[in-house]
Amino acid sequence: MKKRGKRGLFIKAKKGDEILLENVIFLILNLAFFSFVIWFLLRQGSGAIILEQSYAKNIVLLIDSAKPTTEITLNMEDAFDLAEENGIDRKDIVKITGNLVSVKLSKNGGYAYSFFNEADVTAYPDVYSEKNYIIKINSYLK
Amino acid sequence: MNNSFFNNKRGGEKYLSVYWFLVLVLVAGGVIGMVTVYYGSPYDIREIEGTVLINKIADCVSYEGRIDKSFISNGIFYPANEQDFLKACHLNLSSTEWTEQQYYFQVDFYKLSDLTKSVLNISSGNKNYISFCALQKQGITRTLPTCVEKSFYSLDDLGNEYIIKILTAVRKSEKNVKI
Repeated sequence: MKKRGKRGLFIKAKKGDEILLENVIFLILNLAFFSFVIWFLLRQGSGAIILEQSYAKNIVLLIDSAKPTTEITLNMEDAFDLAEENGIDRKDIVKITGNLVSVKLSKNGGYAYSFFNEADVTAYPDVYSEKNYIIKINSYLK
Repeated sequence: MNNSFFNNKRGGEKYLSVYWFLVLVLVAGGVIGMVTVYYGSPYDIREIEGTVLINKIADCVSYEGRIDKSFISNGIFYPANEQDFLKACHLNLSSTEWTEQQYYFQVDFYKLSDLTKSVLNISSGNKNYISFCALQKQGITRTLPTCVEKSFYSLDDLGNEYIIKILTAVRKSEKNVKI
């Protein structure tokens, strides 16, 4: 009887087996490739640099638009998760010095942006809801 | 045509797999490139900042449709000192973050009967930015300061009608645009 299969990678494979193996490899490569692309896209939007900038600018705009005695509750769950991963304490994430807001989510990172509203502002993590930060506009300076 | 790309059944399939993979690499490369460019440029909030500054100045100059008496009272105009105006409106245009001022604003009061001549003018900040506002109207922007202009109607204590025009310019280019 004439043998129809030929020598494959590991065993003597039939022609059908070979086609199956090729397709499986092609499928695995495609999956690996698309997994990398999806991982890359997801990582881009949630990186420390992007989040630091986004939160700093958000907080600045909120402070500029607010009047004294306003208390702003800001959901920063994703920032808390990232800061925890990078070993940053919650109370050190947002710092307000003079009219400069700094957001730090990684050891070597940090982003600062200034506001024009001449007010005394304090920021601290919320005690009751562990995913929020409180930004309090106490009074105008002078 | 026997050895052509698609007529060769087994060889053609192999080439087709490589070709497909090449297409995927190109598409993914394009997506990655676009995402990198998108997230690589900072968020530009200067227009919003300029609008918020206008709202804050408008609240300070006129309240409930009436011009504050410290600017116009009994038909008399009181030109405000720059520092006094900043203090009265609770504005701080300087910051330790920048060596030079990154803001400019200009408030002009016009009588409704004559919109060509400003009867009262208040301005503060970096005056160099005014010239860039004209360029912005021509569409030459991005790295230049962003200008926003708004106007509103208000009355003085005698019921005289005014149009108040507020122009703001915010620079902060390094933090808002990829230079």
